[in-house]
Amino acid sequence: MSDVTYVRLLDLACGVFLLAAVLVLWRRDLAAIVRLFALQGAALAALVTVLGVHEGLDGDGAELVALAVGIAVLRAVVLPRLLRRAVADGGEARETEPLVNVAASLVVAAGLALLSYAVTRPVVALEPSPAVHAVPVALTVVLIGFFVLVSRRRALSQVVGFLLVDNGITAVAFLTTSGVPLIVELGVSLDVLLAVLVLQVLTARMRAAFGGTDLDDLRELRD
Amino acid sequence: MTSVTGAALSASLGASVLAASAGAVLPRRIRPVAAGIGTAAAGAAAVVAGVAAMTGRSWSAWLPELLPLAGVRLAVDPLGGLFIAVTGAVAVCAAVYGVGYARPADGHGGHGLDGRTVQAVLPLFVAAMLLVPAAASVSTFLVAWELMALASLLLVVAEHRHRESVGQAGLWYAVMTHLGLVAILAALAGLAAAAHGESFDRMRAAAEGMSPAVRGAVFVAAFAGFASKAGIVPLHVWLPRAHPEAPSHVSALMSAAMVNLGVYGIVRVGFDLLGGGPRWWWLLVLAAGAVSALYGILQAAVATDLKRLLAYSTCENMGLVLVGLGAGGLLVTADARPLAALALTAALLHVVNHSAFKTLLFLAAGSVLRATGLRDLDALGGLRTRMPVTTAMFAVGALAASALPLGNGFVSEWLLLQSLIGSLGEGGTITAVTMPVAVGALALSAGLAVATFVKAFGTGFLARPRTPQAEAAAESPAAMGVGMGAAAACCVALALVPAFTVPGLARAVQVVLPGQDAVAGQVTLRLAAASSTMSPLLIAVGVAVAAAALLALLRFATTWRVRRRARLWDCGMGPMTARMEYTATSFAEPLQRVFDDVLAPETDVNVTPLAESAYLVDSVSYRARVGDRIESRLYRPLIAAATAVGEAARRLADGSVHRYLAYGFFTFTGVLIVLAVTR
Repeated sequence: MSDVTYVRLLDLACGVFLLAAVLVLWRRDLAAIVRLFALQGAALAALVTVLGVHEGLDGDGAELVALAVGIAVLRAVVLPRLLRRAVADGGEARETEPLVNVAASLVVAAGLALLSYAVTRPVVALEPSPAVHAVPVALTVVLIGFFVLVSRRRALSQVVGFLLVDNGITAVAFLTTSGVPLIVELGVSLDVLLAVLVLQVLTARMRAAFGGTDLDDLRELRD
Repeated sequence: MTSVTGAALSASLGASVLAASAGAVLPRRIRPVAAGIGTAAAGAAAVVAGVAAMTGRSWSAWLPELLPLAGVRLAVDPLGGLFIAVTGAVAVCAAVYGVGYARPADGHGGHGLDGRTVQAVLPLFVAAMLLVPAAASVSTFLVAWELMALASLLLVVAEHRHRESVGQAGLWYAVMTHLGLVAILAALAGLAAAAHGESFDRMRAAAEGMSPAVRGAVFVAAFAGFASKAGIVPLHVWLPRAHPEAPSHVSALMSAAMVNLGVYGIVRVGFDLLGGGPRWWWLLVLAAGAVSALYGILQAAVATDLKRLLAYSTCENMGLVLVGLGAGGLLVTADARPLAALALTAALLHVVNHSAFKTLLFLAAGSVLRATGLRDLDALGGLRTRMPVTTAMFAVGALAASALPLGNGFVSEWLLLQSLIGSLGEGGTITAVTMPVAVGALALSAGLAVATFVKAFGTGFLARPRTPQAEAAAESPAAMGVGMGAAAACCVALALVPAFTVPGLARAVQVVLPGQDAVAGQVTLRLAAASSTMSPLLIAVGVAVAAAALLALLRFATTWRVRRRARLWDCGMGPMTARMEYTATSFAEPLQRVFDDVLAPETDVNVTPLAESAYLVDSVSYRARVGDRIESRLYRPLIAAATAVGEAARRLADGSVHRYLAYGFFTFTGVLIVLAVTR
């Protein structure tokens, strides 16, 4: 793979990765949000694949490609399927009243992107390779995920926000280092899977107990 | 390097650890005995170590792998040895006493004191108190100090299942001791930072070259921290709460050994590490000491709770010690070093004396508490015939504490008085103004101490029992008697031949004031600086001879007259009841009246008229209470302010998950923005 193709493919993967996160803010339909999340998982897997192919398939690259397959299975297939099941079980199909409306959310996302570009300048300056140039994108996804956690009411949106943060962190890890050790990535993936399973159970319980998953209904639970 | 001091100190620490593990694992039946014997052995070994250090066998050790990063640095000099020996002696008495005290009595006492926690923590508490004066670096010192604070806190709350007030006392103690630790930590960390090293040797060498501002700040912070441990007004509030609520042998350890370490800290930091300082430091110490002495004894004089009375008396005695330290420092600045050495010797001797008689008094009070379940003097009485040993012990302690001749308290207070009077002509206007005031404070506190202990002994032990519990009192087990007896023997020895402590004290003083020998003599104490002498033994012999002669004369005189037996005259009112006796409250009432402005007692008179007529009285209830005014005026507003801030902060957490997440999000982005802008 020539360097030009590498950079273009990398940029494409990063672009899809970021766009999926921004679109999560835009859509209110929970099923669509889950589809966007699956798309982002696929983009992350593609990103890792591109990095692996660039490293060379006979060396460290092979391990990266294997990891990419794992990421694709987990983040583009398994987790979205779990989430979709949760959507299907519950009656709520839409994020009706986000705490920050869609237009404002998109402006905030733009602001967060600016912020992460400003903050990561020193990191990029350390080693200005194409991969490191994409680190601000990954950080933006982390911040957007955090913002989703803060501004969305439904439990499912919260889970997606949490997973966006995790996707972003994984992307930062792959972009800044030349590949995360398999054992670390396995550990992280297992954690995420377990967290989603637990959250799914909790969501079902909340729905059974309160008839909805609006987190602000839980106010009375404090001391 | 092996020496007697090091070997004995190691043996002592080893014995405490063994005792602690015995207390933790052995079955309940033999637990108190095993732990008590171990603790007593640790105390005895500590006495050997301390005395060896005071005879000049200093010892130091450096154990780099024991604590991570800093290591443990130990050094015992004569000054530390003095405090180690005192702590060890108190531990011996308290441990032997504790064997009997922990055994459940019929009806009262016991209170689960033979439980694992108390039995295992008590030896650790002793070990921590032995380590504090042996520490020779900041980290070692702070670790030992904190271990001591935590162990004592656990012991204070030992009886929390039996009384509500224990929890409150524990809370006060925990807060005050940790605030004190913060002050000490700040002081020692600041000193170590300025000296570029945390060993005491390093700090001692570097202290000369530091700026006066740094030295002053270090001293004030250290003084505040150590003074709160020593129970100096206005940082004393924990003391009259925690000492009464702790089990009595723990009270003895705290009041006779732990508070001393506050004094040790002030001497070590002020005189030794900082090498003395400007005049205002010592005026501060002197003033705090004088106020503490007066306020403490005044509160003790009106207290009716026996152990609270003893706790306030501790405030008083620590105040007197601080008067000595302050005078010593002041005289060093005035370049009157022989007199300064005399004042310091008096202060250290008073530490020793106070430990002896306060151990005895708390142990005797515990014996009363165990036998009757009462601490209220107004409800006691008549114990002389029921508990003769305890009564005799308390009498010895009360005599010592009231600073009258024949008691050991008298010797050190006399030395202190001599040094204060002798320094009138030294050091210009400031000393000429301060010293007479200090002499006055000393004299007033000594006078009030007599009234206090006459009250405690007279209403508590003499006359008739005022309640059924006091009437049913029985003498305590032999182990408690042995513990009290050992403390009483120390008191008597210190009272009659105080000169045996003089060489050790002189070496301890020479640690901070080299080359000064303030007191000399075997039977008669000769003061080089104040050109006066005193011989406690001769006074005692004289008093004994005079008393014997007087008794013989009386006996001789009464044989001339015919004896007639009749009922005591009672004004024709019928038989006298225990309700007619002087109580502790009524005995102290004149004093309370005189010092009304200081004590501000709360009295509450409720007159309930009959329903038919407002002029006919149905019942009158009278309630009087003397609270701690410093607590209500100084601490209550502070606590109220802290509570208000806490309540306001609760509004930050309203239960909304989104709000909590938003705190994190805004903080995170805020930090990132600051980074982006500033980089």
